[in-house]
Amino acid sequence: MPTATPDVHQILWGVPVTCYAFNHDNTKVAVSADSIDVQIWARRNGAWEVESVLSQHDKLVTGVDWSAATNMIVSVSQDLNAYVWQHELSTGNWKHAMVALRTNRAATCVKWSPLGNKFAAGTGAKSICICYYDESQDLWKASHNKKHITSTVLSVDWHPDNVLIACGAADMKTRVLSAYIKSIDPKSGNPVWGDKLPLDQLCAEYKSNGWVHGVAFSPSGASVAWVAHDSTLNVSTSKDSFVTVKTGNLPLLSLLFISEDRIVAAGHDCVPYLFERRASSWELVNKLDQGPKRSVAANSAMLKFKQMDSRAQANADTELNSYHQNTITHIRPYAGAATNITHFVTGGVDGKLVVWEL
Amino acid sequence: MSNTLKTYIAAVRATLTAAMCLENFASQHVERHNKPEVEARATPEVLLTPVVISRNENEKVLIEGSVNSVRVSIKIKQADEIERILCHKFTRFMMMRAESFVILRRKPVEGYDISFLITNFHTEQMYKHKLVDFIIQFMEEVDKEISEMKISLNARARIVAESYLLQFP
Repeated sequence: MPTATPDVHQILWGVPVTCYAFNHDNTKVAVSADSIDVQIWARRNGAWEVESVLSQHDKLVTGVDWSAATNMIVSVSQDLNAYVWQHELSTGNWKHAMVALRTNRAATCVKWSPLGNKFAAGTGAKSICICYYDESQDLWKASHNKKHITSTVLSVDWHPDNVLIACGAADMKTRVLSAYIKSIDPKSGNPVWGDKLPLDQLCAEYKSNGWVHGVAFSPSGASVAWVAHDSTLNVSTSKDSFVTVKTGNLPLLSLLFISEDRIVAAGHDCVPYLFERRASSWELVNKLDQGPKRSVAANSAMLKFKQMDSRAQANADTELNSYHQNTITHIRPYAGAATNITHFVTGGVDGKLVVWEL
Repeated sequence: MSNTLKTYIAAVRATLTAAMCLENFASQHVERHNKPEVEARATPEVLLTPVVISRNENEKVLIEGSVNSVRVSIKIKQADEIERILCHKFTRFMMMRAESFVILRRKPVEGYDISFLITNFHTEQMYKHKLVDFIIQFMEEVDKEISEMKISLNARARIVAESYLLQFP
């Protein structure tokens, strides 16, 4: 249970944090503020400031990821393009390289692989573009995973072995696919998901009753979990079966394994929830947001009558009793090893990034 | 009568809260487009099953949801001809000014008197729970408004008729 109050960073006003990614030491964050640019915010003297603006896209930037391994940023947008940005130490600028995704629909999400040598971008063309850098031609190339997907891809996540990906789509199915690239991946097999893994091999497919908004692999890769629009969290450790946890709340949008047996998920309820593995099934343990402690002011009665006078509102309480005032769109790890994450950060439609301590 | 109103409103509120879980979704049908899917209806898998909540055969609410937009259509109670005319004029007044209303639709859905179209862009700019509160408040007050208008209409008609007939001995 969180004992400390979370760290709230209201970096945007009136604009949602569409997507964000922190760098490896959490000193900077790349943010798409519901715009066509990616802003890099850096913390100077305790306050957040815009350090640089990466503008190459023409339409809303829907996905941003910052590789801890290579310090490169990838951004994808509804303008059908992806750009990889590299930081030049000499000038402090970010140099962009366009990645030809060869897709004819918007890109929706992007994730760097654990080693940072590939990234997976989900698109509305019912495909996932696995992009890698071709040394001989000095450009980023894309291969497509499109045989098995039948609708817009809503989320992707990489398996720790750098070869498999899990994806959730609007056709209400979660799939584990292979993103094996012959030129850069060593021949590998996987005890849980299968031995022979050519590109776009379907390793597993799971059906839900709602669009799959978020997927995640556990730190060891033995489990895959997803959250769907039917307000459930599902976890699977094998190709055929999975456990469903039905929550009586609004649908969850994003999830994170904080250890092999614990998941934190958040969504339209504006609060993060903690799920734990109990024997062979999972259950919802707790809501991690008990609300900011409202100071019981002595003049709250006066404030109430003031509100009634100036705004003709009998009940002036428009705020929710939680740190986020609107939907939480993404949860990402902030600090701690992958098997025992101590802090996580949530970004929401209210323009806030909140860092939670467990 | 009012005990059905409470459960009716509670059901509408719960359904609206669930239907307003929207997110940005680029059109899967046309590249570079971003349309409310409940209006475009080009991609069947992102549309939710429409729900009708009826209080009785004269009052009902249709809620059609999708991944990035929700359409709420209300059928207002109209007991007689006068109320039908008043309701039509009242909703027409609002629908002609739909742009400043932001979430109002210019034409009601077939079979209903007034429709709202709420998209993910609206839920990003406004509080979701306040949008639901607004629609519920609208439903509760429109009946009162129309009854008030009918009463004042009848009062005026009576005054006019009286003063006209006074000239005859």
